[in-house]
Amino acid sequence: MSGIEFLRITVLVVFSLNGLLALTLIVWKALHRRRQKGYERRRVAYLTLLSRHLADPDEDLEMSPMVAEDQAFLDALIDIRTSVTGAESDALAEVIGSYGVMDRYARRLGSRHFRIRRLRAAVALAEVADSSRAGVLMKALDDHDPEVRIQAARGLGRMKWTPAIDKIVDRFSIETPWVRARFSDTLIGFGQKATWPLVAYVKVNHRFETAGPTAAIRTLGTIGDQDAARPMVEVLEQAFHLEIQLPTIETLGVLGAPIAVPHLEALMDAEDWRLRAKAAGALGDIRDVSAVDRLALGLTDRNWWVRRNSAAALGKIPGGVRLLYHAISSADPFARDAAAEALYDAGELIAARRRVDQGEATPNDLALIRLIAQEEVLAS
Amino acid sequence: MADDSETITTLLETALVAGGYEVTVARNGPDTYEKGKTEKLDLVILDHLMPGLLGLEIIEKWRAEGIETPVIVLSGVDDDRTVVQSLEIGAVDFVRKPFRLNELMARIKQRISG
Amino acid sequence: MILEAFKWIGYAAIAYFVVMQLYLVLLAVVSGFALRNTYHLGRFGRVTEMLSSKTSPPISIIIPAYNEAIGIVDSVRSMSIVSYPRFEIVIANDGSTDDTLKRLIEEFDLEHVRIPYRPDIATATVRAIYRGHNAVDITVIDKENGGRADALNAGINAARYPYVLCTDADVVLDADALVRGMQRIVADRERTVGVGGNIRPLNGSEVELGHLVNASVPGRLVARMQVLEYLRTFLASRPAWSAMHALPLVSGAFGIWRRSAVLAIGGYKAGHLGEDLDLTMRMHRYHRSNDIPYQIVYEPSAVLWTEVPDSFRVLRRQRIRWHRGLMTSIRDFLPMTFNPRYGALGMVTWAGFFLFEYLAPMIEFIGWFIVPTAFFVGALNTETLVLMLLLAFGAGLLNSLASLWLDEPYGYFNDPKSTSRLIIMALIENLGFRQITVVWRIRAIFGGRGVRGWGNMERRGVANLATDS
Repeated sequence: MSGIEFLRITVLVVFSLNGLLALTLIVWKALHRRRQKGYERRRVAYLTLLSRHLADPDEDLEMSPMVAEDQAFLDALIDIRTSVTGAESDALAEVIGSYGVMDRYARRLGSRHFRIRRLRAAVALAEVADSSRAGVLMKALDDHDPEVRIQAARGLGRMKWTPAIDKIVDRFSIETPWVRARFSDTLIGFGQKATWPLVAYVKVNHRFETAGPTAAIRTLGTIGDQDAARPMVEVLEQAFHLEIQLPTIETLGVLGAPIAVPHLEALMDAEDWRLRAKAAGALGDIRDVSAVDRLALGLTDRNWWVRRNSAAALGKIPGGVRLLYHAISSADPFARDAAAEALYDAGELIAARRRVDQGEATPNDLALIRLIAQEEVLAS
Repeated sequence: MADDSETITTLLETALVAGGYEVTVARNGPDTYEKGKTEKLDLVILDHLMPGLLGLEIIEKWRAEGIETPVIVLSGVDDDRTVVQSLEIGAVDFVRKPFRLNELMARIKQRISG
Repeated sequence: MILEAFKWIGYAAIAYFVVMQLYLVLLAVVSGFALRNTYHLGRFGRVTEMLSSKTSPPISIIIPAYNEAIGIVDSVRSMSIVSYPRFEIVIANDGSTDDTLKRLIEEFDLEHVRIPYRPDIATATVRAIYRGHNAVDITVIDKENGGRADALNAGINAARYPYVLCTDADVVLDADALVRGMQRIVADRERTVGVGGNIRPLNGSEVELGHLVNASVPGRLVARMQVLEYLRTFLASRPAWSAMHALPLVSGAFGIWRRSAVLAIGGYKAGHLGEDLDLTMRMHRYHRSNDIPYQIVYEPSAVLWTEVPDSFRVLRRQRIRWHRGLMTSIRDFLPMTFNPRYGALGMVTWAGFFLFEYLAPMIEFIGWFIVPTAFFVGALNTETLVLMLLLAFGAGLLNSLASLWLDEPYGYFNDPKSTSRLIIMALIENLGFRQITVVWRIRAIFGGRGVRGWGNMERRGVANLATDS
């Protein structure tokens, strides 16, 4: 083939492609527009239908199992379930189930092809969270598609199916961060029942890996079960990786565990500033009055973040505010500013102004207003 | 009934109409404020985070102009500061989203008849 | 002999253009596959789950503002009700000469406060800091003028959260843009340091109270041309680059960054005309030379709408500024070009920038003289010339149509009028518009006129754009 023949053919190909693209574009857009309008119409219709049933549970729902094929139905259902909670919402799930819709979804989940349909089925089963489907969802926890696993866990969490907890925690190490984050949400939903499986997991694994145990430690904090405090203190004593220590400190703060206070105070003498700063923050969260003196020392730490966290912590502890007022006249400008910020965040500026208005201003109030708002106020 | 979410307005409008009430719907801040001024309303259910004007700002403006219609704030915002503030400004109740429909309907019934 | 030379140079000039378009077509194909993956996932649950999750990382939205009095209040208001569990807004008032600051203080009840502002990145002098709590915490940094990059740095200094979203005033964020962007962070928190968003021109669309009601194709041709341009890069190039771990640019209008990473590389470079390109490339260089595992990704569903220049005059200023920024970056990162040590970034993306963005205007410009000359001295065969020109035109058209095609699943511009307008635009854009941008870029090489700093656009305010159709 000569050069020019090749050129001719290429030009022909390119322009044919262009014609094809333009044509399919026009057709596709028209179809899309119709589909979109149809989708919107159906979604609003489903929404109204479901709303009417919620308002009047005696009214008969006219629904065919075929709604399981309709994305609009699923979206309407999800929207309602995110907005409304409680018994009526659960009753809604039962009603839908009675029309065979859920059977259809459950069957879809078993199919190996059509990823979108399987995903849709998983989402629907998770939304409705009918415990008779727990078996299907437990199996789906092993699905090769991470999104399906997430929805399976979510559904099991919503139906409070406790046997799922161990299975989910076991997967912490092998899952990706995204899946782990969503699994954490599910475990948080389980609440205190998830505490011991998570604690066991952390104690076994924290010496060998960081990602999984870190997520587990943070989850324990959000769950807020005080039973986790002592094991976390033990982990803190045994761990020497910063990546494990930092979240553990944070979690002890979030848990508000007084037994951690001596350990945290000791950590405020650590070499690494991140440990000192985190410890200060946690002491503030625990709000234990005995920590006040050590935190006051933190105001003069050589690291900026430690000073700032110590000030913030003092702002949260009863009796600490007094020490902050002390600091706003300190020679160290950073301690002064840290204290000023903490006092502002604690609402002291507003309180000070109120006292001025009522004629009950103290010298501290005036000093605070002068420092933060840069205003001179006369105490009348 | 004021909320920028179509789901909430459809849901509540359906439920309220089924309960025998007459409903006016607004979808954004300024519209809500206007309707509150011009129409005779027995009760307002109001979302806080709306485009144009925040729910709490609307209540403040109404009260400043002498409009005393009782308001129930229905919001996904969860912090205590907002709850306290809304009650201080003059809302009669604060319901968190996601909400229990029966409970909300009961509160509405009580506010209107009481 | 000279005839031979003319012939080959002539053909080479056109061939260059053809190769460039084909490179873009290849990128479009790769982007297609990348988009398909993310599109379907985006429809299932991720947004709602992150919104109700207690594990979603908090983020600070940084808004640099210079003389934005017209729209700043509406802008901040609409951003403050964006759907996200925990975030704050930090506005850096870059020495505005209008009453931007005053409007902010009045509207949001801000108090002058003393907070420990630590200049981790050196900036122009900070005069004062204001703070208030409305729907979200709002902090305003009032500082001396220093340019957009400088203002961003000041905002980042004051940010309280581990992630920052650098954006602009007078933009319209999609309701779930922030969640979708942050989802990429959560998906791989240890490695992801940056997420770029999808910028779409707002001109001609209906905006109500800071929210997009209806997306339409702009009436003015200048703006319409840019719609296609933006689609070509944001749908047909960036997904491919992102998939190859070679994303060269996280746009300044929507860039989520890990705050500690930005501090580690010293923040934005003040006075740089292409500060977003520069920051992204420095991020790459820093992490690669220090062997830190990282990734910078592009999220097509994190959409932000912004006003694009709708007059040639303003567009010209913008393009000259962009090209000069590009020139500086090409120079700064020359060692990366065609360097296998930088993987696809050096071999594909940056090489592409060098060949097709940097050299393009010069080669094309020369081509305009050489090709007709070569033809008139008989060095070029008529049929060959015509075919090659057709090929160049056809390949350019292919790129635009491919971009429209890739954009289809997102459901914008569905009515017949919009569709026909866009297709016609694709046909005519290579008949003059593109050529004008080449002239501007040549101009940029030889010194653009006073286009430093903000390159001020006449702000008509987002609210006024709807009258544009």
